Amino acid sequence: MDLAGTTERAAVGQTEPLRRHRGGRPMGGRRRAGFVFSLPVILLVAGLLVLPIGQTFYYSLTSWDGITSTWVGLDNYRQLFSDSTFWQVLANNGILLASIPLAILIPLLVAFLLNERVLGWRFFRSVYFLPTAISWVVIGMVAIRFFASEGILNNVLRTIGLGSVHTDLLSGEFSAMIAVIITFIWSVFGTNTIIFITGMATLDREVYEAARVDGAGAWSIFFFVTIPMLMRFIQFAFILTLITAFTALFSLIFIMTQGGPGFATTTLEFFVFEKAFNNGVFGLAAAIGVVLFAIVFAIWIVQFRILRSRTD
Amino acid sequence: MNRTRRRLSRMAMFVVLCLVVVVMLFPFYFMTLTSFRSYDQYLAGSGFSLDSWAVLFDTIPVLRELFNSTVVTVGAVLIILAVSTTGGFAFAKLGYPGSAVIFLLLLAGMMVPVQSIIIPEYVNVSGFGLINQFQGAILVYAALGAPFATYLMTTYYRGISNELIEASLMDGASYLQIFMKVMLPLSVPAIVTVAVLQFIQIWDDLLIGLLFLQTPEVRTITVGLATLQSSRMVNIPALMAGSLVSALPAIIVYLVFQRHLVRGLTMGMGK
Amino acid sequence: MVYRRFAAVAFASAIVASLLAGCSGSSSPSPSAAASAVPAASTTASASAAAPATAAPPVAISLWHNYGTEANATATENLVKGYQALHPNVTINIVSQPANNYFDLLKAAAISKTGPCLATQWTGLFTLQNKAYLEPLNKYIPVATLKQFKGVEWGSDNFNADSGVYVVPLEMQTYNGFYNKDLFAKAGITALPTTWAELEAVDKKLKAAGIQPFVYGTGAQGLTAGFYPFYDLSYMMMMVQVSDWKKLYTGELPWTDPSIKAQLDKWVALKANGYTNTDVLNDTESWSQFLAGKAAMTLEGTWAISAAEKALGDKVGVFAPPFSDQPIKGIVEFPGDGFAMTSYCPNKDVAADFLAYMATPDAQKIIEDAGLIPGLQGTSTNDPLAKALLSFGADQGFTRYPMIDNVMQPEVADTAGKVLVAAFAGTMSTQDALQKMADALMQLPADRRSPSGYK
Repeated sequence: MDLAGTTERAAVGQTEPLRRHRGGRPMGGRRRAGFVFSLPVILLVAGLLVLPIGQTFYYSLTSWDGITSTWVGLDNYRQLFSDSTFWQVLANNGILLASIPLAILIPLLVAFLLNERVLGWRFFRSVYFLPTAISWVVIGMVAIRFFASEGILNNVLRTIGLGSVHTDLLSGEFSAMIAVIITFIWSVFGTNTIIFITGMATLDREVYEAARVDGAGAWSIFFFVTIPMLMRFIQFAFILTLITAFTALFSLIFIMTQGGPGFATTTLEFFVFEKAFNNGVFGLAAAIGVVLFAIVFAIWIVQFRILRSRTD
Repeated sequence: MNRTRRRLSRMAMFVVLCLVVVVMLFPFYFMTLTSFRSYDQYLAGSGFSLDSWAVLFDTIPVLRELFNSTVVTVGAVLIILAVSTTGGFAFAKLGYPGSAVIFLLLLAGMMVPVQSIIIPEYVNVSGFGLINQFQGAILVYAALGAPFATYLMTTYYRGISNELIEASLMDGASYLQIFMKVMLPLSVPAIVTVAVLQFIQIWDDLLIGLLFLQTPEVRTITVGLATLQSSRMVNIPALMAGSLVSALPAIIVYLVFQRHLVRGLTMGMGK
Repeated sequence: MVYRRFAAVAFASAIVASLLAGCSGSSSPSPSAAASAVPAASTTASASAAAPATAAPPVAISLWHNYGTEANATATENLVKGYQALHPNVTINIVSQPANNYFDLLKAAAISKTGPCLATQWTGLFTLQNKAYLEPLNKYIPVATLKQFKGVEWGSDNFNADSGVYVVPLEMQTYNGFYNKDLFAKAGITALPTTWAELEAVDKKLKAAGIQPFVYGTGAQGLTAGFYPFYDLSYMMMMVQVSDWKKLYTGELPWTDPSIKAQLDKWVALKANGYTNTDVLNDTESWSQFLAGKAAMTLEGTWAISAAEKALGDKVGVFAPPFSDQPIKGIVEFPGDGFAMTSYCPNKDVAADFLAYMATPDAQKIIEDAGLIPGLQGTSTNDPLAKALLSFGADQGFTRYPMIDNVMQPEVADTAGKVLVAAFAGTMSTQDALQKMADALMQLPADRRSPSGYK
């Protein structure tokens, strides 16, 4: 049985069926058991997740203030797509998306280092995951002080002699986005590093030896051997990072930049919050939520096709 | 010559990793330092005082809210584990017509931002009278975390060889027995992984806690910390003290289970 | 096997935990508690220190606020204590709620009827937005009493107390400038500036003496990024009369009007000419920098008075930011927040009685002792800075303006909050900023811009 292929097909929901066997249970029993076992999660998610999602889809076609709703059809979407701010926000999500490879590459490199079993690697591994336990509020606060004009970054630059390079990242539109992205990469670093360390630990060392015997240098081993073999992990980390970036950065942005300067660091998720909660226009907010969901879903499907064809 | 080169490069790696540690742990340093200043000392930029810790414990019922957070988080995590292990078993090994589609839809549930669905969710839960009840929040958290957990468990279970299951079937075991005696024991690392990740996420959540648990008797610590702010002023040192207190349980959970965590992610992905 | 037991225990605990949770979680007092006991309690909800209701059945109501650790929280607690002393049968549960999302929480609580009887409300358009779940007080408290509160019309339907008062103001607040007297003296400044031109002169003198004139940043709030541009905007818009601010609401005076742009240009020039710090968008230490004497002036409000006095003593003074071509004659003096009664409160008489109690001299003293400026006509304050602020309107004939963010549509205010700071920081032109604000206004449906909505 090809386990690698199994995982691929599994990820898109196809099951490797148990073989028919002589004696024992009939096949129908397996199906029924499957249904019964999956019932709890189906009921839970259907009632408390799918239902509100469906309601959100419905409300996106209405004008709703939380109490009364009136049908407006595609008006919300029309208003959304003709709002120039929406396209700017979309572009911000694009920039965020483009930064995800970096959020994967850096932990990959560090995991590579750790895999070399440098002194104290177990300690490092423990420590790197700890920031995951810190709330976004604190991370945002520290980030502001880090990037501030009289902040830590500039202090460090001064002490290493680059005092002429004075930064004020949070004041500029594009640079504020950079600051947010740097903070975001920092915060997912721990999780992704752990994912890759464990991934590397499962790799067959023989392949490495064979490559080294063939005369490959460290970098080419990294790019042509390690990365392809880690593809499943990279995929997993990509999804996790993507979902975090698009649906969980709200608090960070709220503290760090409030979505500004202007709308420079407003992502779709933040935009939802603004419309829904600040302005009470829940119908429009629902529409934005639908759009966001569609985008994440599309990216997911796309990255599946891409990475799948590489490993087959 | 080669040995020296190797040693040098390993030392360089070590230095790099140490620098990374500094970068990673800096916020803890900041939190601790700031929490031991009074508000005036914080504005002034120096000083040591236990004032802000006093303000923290005076302003919010820290212990009560830590308890509430624990109840809600542990409750939700237990439910998530229960449904994701059973569901994972079903989707991984016990396919039935339509299960593939259902699985896909389940995964799609991971991709919806909470802000979008929170209002219909609130109205629904309120209709059942479960606002300000632990069960309401627990169920909502469980439903939100179930897709990711089921995804992980399903992937993990696929890696368990079918022969094992078929052998048990031939011995006449029921699927329930197979689940309890074969699947669960083998999946302890994955279970721990799910538990730790979900624990942290639920513990730190603000929005659902705010709306579904509105009063201090049932409020979580994360929401409680938010009451240290008003629209015009915030007592930052007290907030830092509170953040430290709030971060502790998650850190403890992680450190205790970290060995299993690593194994869980390995087994889940590697097969 | 160990694992089997583990699994069994896990499943069992899940169920037990939920059950336990259910038991301990249902102890929250619901508003429908002692509903039937109401009619027996005080039927006359008239003002003045009512005689304690003897042998009245116990009543419990809740009060939500979002004051955090501010002085307002202390004032609230002491007011409740004072009232409970007079009415021993009444218990008012005070719940502090997070300031962020506070109004959404109230809305949600109104839907599920799990909210309080009394809640902090902001005045101006905020009140009107939330009036769906608020109860007009005119039936419970005589209008004459209510009108004793200065600015009570801003918390009323149609901005007219006779139409129905929703919010009883807790305090009087101002937006104002603080300045460091020592630094001014050092630069040889003898009189406070009253026009743009005089401000320019003052700034130049300060710079010549090596002093940074203004500091902008997150201010006393210190947590989230960005500065709050509405102190400045309020003073910039004093070039029109109070009643004409309605035209900003309806669009009759568009945000892109050249007169507004002229004001904005002069304001933005403050930073461009180097009279402020450069990191206006993310200086989280701006308030402590002012307190430490690193800058001569900053904009804040009454809530910052006690910190200012603590740090600078009598070296700090207050002024009205002179963002005007003619000598400035306006001060933002406004009852920004107070308490309102919800429409689903089951003990309305008791709740209204508490609100009436706030008009008593005892209550006003409690408010003043907490460091706030009492909001009733005829009250005064002992705090020197607060006195100075009140005297602008009371003695010097300044016009009292509301806080402009309380009378703008939230969508426009949100946009303004972003684009004005961007313009000040120099990353956006004033033209673009005003255009975005005008767009935000015009995108609203007509009923959100109609004169009938500005009340």
